[in-house]
Amino acid sequence: MPEMVTLAIDEQEVEVEEGTNVLAAALGAGICIPNLCYLPGLKPTGACRVCIVEVEKNGRTKMTASCTLEAKDGMVIHAHSENVLRARRNIVELLVAEAPESEVLQVLAERIEVEDVRYPERDNDCILCGRCVTACAEIAATGAKGSIGRGMNRHIGLPFYNEEYCQKCYECRERCPMEIAPQSRRDPCGVCGSELSKNEDLIPEMCGDCELD
Amino acid sequence: MDLARVDAILEGRGSEPFDVMEVLQDIQEEFRYLPEDAMRQTAEILQVPLIEVFRLANFYKAFSLKPRGRHLITVCTGTACHVQGARKLGDQVLGQLKVGPGETTQDGAFTVETVNCVGACALAPVVIIDGEYYDHMTPKKLRKLISRIRKVDAQEEETRTNA
Repeated sequence: MPEMVTLAIDEQEVEVEEGTNVLAAALGAGICIPNLCYLPGLKPTGACRVCIVEVEKNGRTKMTASCTLEAKDGMVIHAHSENVLRARRNIVELLVAEAPESEVLQVLAERIEVEDVRYPERDNDCILCGRCVTACAEIAATGAKGSIGRGMNRHIGLPFYNEEYCQKCYECRERCPMEIAPQSRRDPCGVCGSELSKNEDLIPEMCGDCELD
Repeated sequence: MDLARVDAILEGRGSEPFDVMEVLQDIQEEFRYLPEDAMRQTAEILQVPLIEVFRLANFYKAFSLKPRGRHLITVCTGTACHVQGARKLGDQVLGQLKVGPGETTQDGAFTVETVNCVGACALAPVVIIDGEYYDHMTPKKLRKLISRIRKVDAQEEETRTNA
């Protein structure tokens, strides 16, 4: 029997197996935390920071990505506090500025009520969320793709930029937020997969517009 | 490319995935750059994804993916060196050797690189040639230094052909 831990997310008691991350715990309990780079069941990377939450400890709170945060007994998580919502809007704003062409990001921005993008548009075709890298390593088990370079110049690529290393399964493309059109996919915001859209009492302000079934 | 030399390096080092940095450093020292085949061999023997090796090779400035010259000239362009005229040093060496920053001379003798700070600010401006630090550099001193290295190289070449 795996050990169970109990934590509080948005004042709701959630019991999960030890080792579960906070994001998975919340989604499982029907609490929607918007996320982007997280692929359920696979190793979280914590790259996009959309899933940030506040962790309360000794009366102080700390913001961190929930996908890379392991659920611990007695943890107190605020996923929809003023601070979190503001920070999350800002993060998505930056992502949209980075890649204004992405429909997925547009939908995500709309859902969390980003009103205006205050940052100069960069017109990139990649936000370095790393979904493709995770897909390549864990779903396709090829492990061909990875990020190359550092800082401003970091980009995703194949060894020696040689296409031969790609086995052309396109698992990566399937999951790229730049390639997915929201209409064609159930999970543009990374799916809450929750009962949330049916239960408006839970977090109406966050996912009121969410049409997912 | 001599793969036997890579194998010798791999033999001398551990064969765990975390040994990859040390192996790459050895390869860099041996070949003065990281040849593609050497990186492939490393990935295969150490059982790390090739992209991981390529990623490290790209990330660290100490590694070069293009062949470097026999002599490496590093001009520090940190704040202290900049204030003391590092740009003039850079212009001097680039002009003398007729290369751009990061490039290698046609005869494969020199590679010129700039670096942001070498932590020897009290000695500014600093130029490092083949691991040796030269302090309080002036364009004149640098020009003479390069000429001297050229001369020594030529002499060595001569003794080698005579021998």
